[in-house]
Amino acid sequence: MHEEQGIRTEVLTIGYDSDLMKEITFAVKSGEIVSIIGPNGCGKSTLLKTLAGHLKERGGLIYLDGRERASFEKKEIARRLSMVMTERIHPELMTCREVVATGRYPYTGHFGILSASDQKIIEEALDSVDAQEIADRLFSNLSDGQRQRIMLARAVAQEPDILILDEPTSYLDLKYRIELLTKIRKLAAQKGIAVLLSIHELEAAMRISDTVVAMNREGVQRIGNAEEVFTEPFIRALYGIEDMDVSVLGSTPWRMSGNRESGESEADMPGRITEGAMASAHRTFGNAKVIMVQGTMSNVGKSLLTAALCRIFTEDGYRTAPFKSQNMALNSYVTKDGLEMGRAQVVQAECCRREAAVEMNPILLKPVSDQRSQVIVNGRPVSNMNVKEYYAYKKDCIPVVLEAYQRLSETSEIIVVEGAGSPAELNLKEDDIVNMGLAALLSAPVILVGDIDRGGIFAQLIGTVDLLEKDERERIAGLVVNKFRGDEAFFAKGIEILETKTGKPVLGTIPWLPLSFEEEDSLADRLERHEKRDFQIAVVRLPHMANFTDFATFDQLEEVGVSYTDRAEDLVDSDLILLPGTKNTIADLRWLKKNGLYDVIRSEAKKEKLIIGICGGYQMLGKWIRDPGHMECGGEEAGLGLLNTETVFGTEKIRTAFEGIVEDAEKGLAALRGCRVKGYEIHMGVTAIGEGTRHFTSGGTGCCSGTVFGTYVHGFFDCREIAAGVIEAAAARRRKVVDTGRLKDYTDYKDTQYAKLASAVRAHLDMKRIYEMMGLPYDKKRTV
Amino acid sequence: MNQKRFVFTITGLCIAIFLLAVVSLFSGTVAISGSELKAVLLGQVKEGMHVNILFQIRLPRLIGALVTGGALALSGYLLQTFFHNPIAGPFVLGISSGAKLTVALAMVFLLSKGCRIGSAGLVLAAFAGAMAVMLFVLLLSLRVRSMSILVVCGIMVGYICAAVTDLVVTFADDSNIVNLHNWSLGSLSGIGIPEVELMSGIVLCCFVFVLFLSKPIGALRLGEAYAAGVGVNVKLLRVFLILASSLLAACVTAFVGPVSFVGIAVPHLVKSAAGTTSPWKMIPLCFLGGAAITMLCDLIARTVFAPTEVSISSVTAVLLVPVVLWIMLKKKKEGGGSYA
Repeated sequence: MHEEQGIRTEVLTIGYDSDLMKEITFAVKSGEIVSIIGPNGCGKSTLLKTLAGHLKERGGLIYLDGRERASFEKKEIARRLSMVMTERIHPELMTCREVVATGRYPYTGHFGILSASDQKIIEEALDSVDAQEIADRLFSNLSDGQRQRIMLARAVAQEPDILILDEPTSYLDLKYRIELLTKIRKLAAQKGIAVLLSIHELEAAMRISDTVVAMNREGVQRIGNAEEVFTEPFIRALYGIEDMDVSVLGSTPWRMSGNRESGESEADMPGRITEGAMASAHRTFGNAKVIMVQGTMSNVGKSLLTAALCRIFTEDGYRTAPFKSQNMALNSYVTKDGLEMGRAQVVQAECCRREAAVEMNPILLKPVSDQRSQVIVNGRPVSNMNVKEYYAYKKDCIPVVLEAYQRLSETSEIIVVEGAGSPAELNLKEDDIVNMGLAALLSAPVILVGDIDRGGIFAQLIGTVDLLEKDERERIAGLVVNKFRGDEAFFAKGIEILETKTGKPVLGTIPWLPLSFEEEDSLADRLERHEKRDFQIAVVRLPHMANFTDFATFDQLEEVGVSYTDRAEDLVDSDLILLPGTKNTIADLRWLKKNGLYDVIRSEAKKEKLIIGICGGYQMLGKWIRDPGHMECGGEEAGLGLLNTETVFGTEKIRTAFEGIVEDAEKGLAALRGCRVKGYEIHMGVTAIGEGTRHFTSGGTGCCSGTVFGTYVHGFFDCREIAAGVIEAAAARRRKVVDTGRLKDYTDYKDTQYAKLASAVRAHLDMKRIYEMMGLPYDKKRTV
Repeated sequence: MNQKRFVFTITGLCIAIFLLAVVSLFSGTVAISGSELKAVLLGQVKEGMHVNILFQIRLPRLIGALVTGGALALSGYLLQTFFHNPIAGPFVLGISSGAKLTVALAMVFLLSKGCRIGSAGLVLAAFAGAMAVMLFVLLLSLRVRSMSILVVCGIMVGYICAAVTDLVVTFADDSNIVNLHNWSLGSLSGIGIPEVELMSGIVLCCFVFVLFLSKPIGALRLGEAYAAGVGVNVKLLRVFLILASSLLAACVTAFVGPVSFVGIAVPHLVKSAAGTTSPWKMIPLCFLGGAAITMLCDLIARTVFAPTEVSISSVTAVLLVPVVLWIMLKKKKEGGGSYA
């Protein structure tokens, strides 16, 4: 979804003749500075050389600008990545300008002749390091500091997205060091270059870096921001100087702020919360009130109840935010800043009518195998860990979690915190940051939810309460019975038993709600759907299918079924065929040809069935797709040939919001002409529409021919008129009638779903008591 | 400023070559006057002794010297680029000696079997020898980066080759020995039009090929890591450099025999004169510089003790060894730590 710029590794193994270090996973994004610190000989240079391609990786993957490095040609890599090495160079009789000019190598022609624009870039590179006055001097006559500046200019002249510097400040005196680091910072900020550097001066690393990677011979020890890494015990352990007298470095080396003398306790400093903080539970974060939802086990409906509470509080006029410290999910959501977070919090944020932010879910675990997960902190992947490693790492996450919560509380009046799994996993309770441990840190009253649908509600609720420690038990302010089917009156006895046995009030019995909206793993469910309804939409289930939400709006109508299919008969039986977007158009097109769907789609088109392609699907409908630059898998492929278009993949990714109309639509969808379209475009290719072909969506974003339509606009169907028009037209062709009267704009639909959820929950929950738990007056209910 | 110096140097070299050519044509045991020379060159006289002397002896020798010098200097330049080592050169590294050995082997064995070895055969034999030694030196250079050890290795290889050559000579017929002896001293005497044609052809091809390598060679000036960093296929470039330099050295050695020191000294001389290391300029400069110096040396070799000829290597050594010493001292002074 988000165009990735910079460099990223996945479980990288490095080394010369044997594995020196394994499972290195981190990322440097555009405009960020990441420094690598660690003792001499621990493999910093080896890592940098591996990333730059001077050494071959021994395992794992390296991505440049989101694409695997191995898929690039040497010259393509050189246009994206440049490096300043520690080795000194001895160019004979070369002026500084000539040295800088070698950076243009990947851009010049066969004879290396510099064009006017090359010259301009060289001058700009010299300017960017203030080296004009030494530009005509011989490189060999310069001082170390001046040389390093020129080497930086050389790297800049390469116009990289990623800049790697191996100990750029070695040999430099204080003045040159400050100058150089200032220039590096400026480059990162102004040109959006992703900078990765190794450095020995910790005080500089502390201040210049967005992220610090700390490693020693045993491997990467910690990845985090300066506050997380520069703690004295950690640095001492990293460099193996636990017992060394370090007084020569001053009284408080390696501290972000030297205010140890000011009497503040460790715990009061943000980002430095340790065991002390765990004990001092009663802290307030901003003025936000808090409530926490925990479950007796997974899938009891915590997320849904949290979403409902979010909407209820929002409806009541409170600025509300969801929060879940740690999520485990296969699919993540990518925010507009390119950060990853759990999808459930996105839905909950929508319930709060606010934009999803990574603070709402600071830690995300994405399983990569049975044993291991990728750990994503504040939206950025830091490492792959197994359970044991994560367990050791978890404690270090406490400051991260609290900081995220702190930031959230600055813009919220109520925060609804969601727990994970069960609070009574007795073997895992140490350093808990997701359930009762977090509730203690936040002083949050807890609502415990049980799932009656799966049975054993008494064992679930009473058992859980029973297994908790005394102080934990006191945090539980009420119980909720969820997913109840049938007559509530029959359960009155049950409630009485629950209340007497646990001594906690039952806040409500929430019925089983037949509501549909995106949740963590519902993407997979959606794909498995093969329901047969009166009006059947077949979405071709491409192997690299992307953007599932394009067709979610059709869920609104009961008589409309959407099936994701790769079976020919489903396409033949359907009333409407949709070709979705894909992450790899050419590969998916080849897949279509291989399994025969290619011919099926063409013959259905001949029978004048309505076929609509979105984005990659639109590209496929054309005559040719060419990939000269090897942006996907290279080569060219004949498309379905149903539209007179040709698509060429360029290097530029188009990523823009779209607002326009349906300009023209042939017999198939004539009714749509003039309809308003709102959505967005994300694609690599540029599609040329052949002359005489009718346009579809405005601005050259789509075209049509007969009953075949294509557009680049994602979210095309989200607008009511369009979805309704498409269904009606398709139904009419098949001599069916579908009532589209209840259809709404997709965002409105989602919003009504949330409202329905809120009102259902509100009706069954003792809201007065919940407000009281949070210390808010119920009667002061505000209206929106 | 650089540009001016370059133009100045290249013009100077062209004038020098022209003058040397004129002097070479005049000088020799048989005196030829200016008007006679003019008449022959302009084709007014078609036959006679003067025509034969000029076209069969002096002109081929003149062109031979030009091409020999150019090829050796260019070969030296490529080897210096390859090894990042200022005193690399075909003779120092023993490449010429290797070529000499295989040529000797080929001559002796084929002649004893009654076959005549043609020019192309000589080139092939020399190339094989040059490549063999080159590969051996390459293997060594993987282990030692130091300039002095590499030179010592080259000299060792040279000695071994010489020893084997001696062995071959011991078992050869008398007539072969005379041939071989003259050749192995390095001499341009007795070179004819066909040899010159073949040699010029090969060297010209190599020259053009090397010009096409200018861009990556230029990038290599910052060292292999940076070259790779801007997208140079360093491995492939190294293979090209070896092939071109070996072929150049082998070709010369096949016809003229080992000629010492031109390969090392000339690149440094023209570099200092023109004040640049840009391959675009260095490649033609090396060629012309090598040509001029070799022509001068050949002129000296055949005129100083006339009618007796001195071996050309003796002259190049006397003239150029001081230059090589100067290079080594200069490098030391500049603190070229990476070389020593």
